[in-house]
Amino acid sequence: MKSTEIFDQRYKWFMFGRDPEKPESIIDTNQYMIVAGNRALLMDPGGIEVFAPMLGAILHHARVDEITDLFASHQDPDIISSLGLWDQALPHATLHAPWLWEGFLRHFGMNNIQYDAIPDQGSSIDLNGVTIEFIPAHYLHASGNFHVYDPQAKILMSGDVGAALEGDDSPLFVDNFFEHIPKMEMFHQRWMPSNRAKNDWIKRVRELDIEYMAPQHGRIFKGDDVKRFLDWFEELNVGVAISD
Amino acid sequence: MSNAVTTSKDKLVALASIAAELYSVMGVAWGVSLAAKNAKVISVQAGDKGRGFQPITEFIDDISQQAMKGVNEINSAALQLSRIAVNEQRSVNAYHRFASVQRKNSDAQHLKSMAPAMKRVEKTMLASTKEFKRSLQQLSQLLEAMDECMLSARSIASVSRIVTSDSGVFRDKLKVVADELDKAAIYIKDKLSDSYQHLVNVNTSYK
Repeated sequence: MKSTEIFDQRYKWFMFGRDPEKPESIIDTNQYMIVAGNRALLMDPGGIEVFAPMLGAILHHARVDEITDLFASHQDPDIISSLGLWDQALPHATLHAPWLWEGFLRHFGMNNIQYDAIPDQGSSIDLNGVTIEFIPAHYLHASGNFHVYDPQAKILMSGDVGAALEGDDSPLFVDNFFEHIPKMEMFHQRWMPSNRAKNDWIKRVRELDIEYMAPQHGRIFKGDDVKRFLDWFEELNVGVAISD
Repeated sequence: MSNAVTTSKDKLVALASIAAELYSVMGVAWGVSLAAKNAKVISVQAGDKGRGFQPITEFIDDISQQAMKGVNEINSAALQLSRIAVNEQRSVNAYHRFASVQRKNSDAQHLKSMAPAMKRVEKTMLASTKEFKRSLQQLSQLLEAMDECMLSARSIASVSRIVTSDSGVFRDKLKVVADELDKAAIYIKDKLSDSYQHLVNVNTSYK
């Protein structure tokens, strides 16, 4: 599992992914972690299959007992099916996840970790003086869905929004937005169900100051490519599996 | 790792099989209870000739109630064992994944911080193993008690046949009840024997 530092000031952001040992048949995922002093927030920690390489990669940057917080944008297996294993590794951690999915997520096995149910309008946490916001992204693509915004680092962890389907060895950052479009077009048209939800999210996100938009699959958007993505997404017709 | 998982999987299948074997027993025991109630009515109608059969109908009813209660207890015990086996499998799974992290990341700066998690999961595994053994013993005892109950049922059926020989026109009706009890006892004993075999398999896979 590769780990890359994407922000380093008073605290750090890491991206984990592009695991060369990942079974070929499972989709590649990006995991993110913020380390602020002796507390770390692990975002969309991934499925059971990536648990061991993920924990191994984390141990290069933080102690196990420093992982105090987990975040799940929604309930999908590639996001959080490793929960039962984290539950045995981190008995005192808190999982921040949509209220809507609590009864579902507990099926993965959660006997020790505390569940912090994020209300529909979102919420925020203080991670050793760093304010982290959970921004609503409902129906993008799950009916209860949140993204993570860090106003200080200007990073938006955008879950499945901005995702692209490409090889496991693809670069970490979008280098040519227009060449990147074909890799994400079908994903957004098929996985995102609602134009209304999409436009509501775009309106909310345009008000944020974003330097990096970091999705759960594919590459990170940087600088002007964030605005290019929002413009492109606004024009895109989603929810295309239903024929007229 | 594959051996441990297969063992746990075998355990879960064997325990589910016990519940499946005993599912039909409940219906049979219920049928015997109904037959006992009918026999009570018949023996009352038979008057003096059915008097000898009347206390036997009480025994038959008791046996069927005991069988139903026993099946419920066995099912609860098998379910409890399944839960323990699932928890154990989760711990074994976590243990092997934690061990893989330790093996493959010897150069990680914070590797030592994994030690408490490893210890915890080892402790959980040992506790599950102990709990499983205890519950397995309990389930075995319940199956044995049920088997003895069915032996009694067969004895009662034999006695019933002798008593009914003197009940005149009601003899055939009462004999049917005695035969039904015997048939049910044989059926339940068969199911218990199959369940016991599944339990032996659990025990073997456990060793």
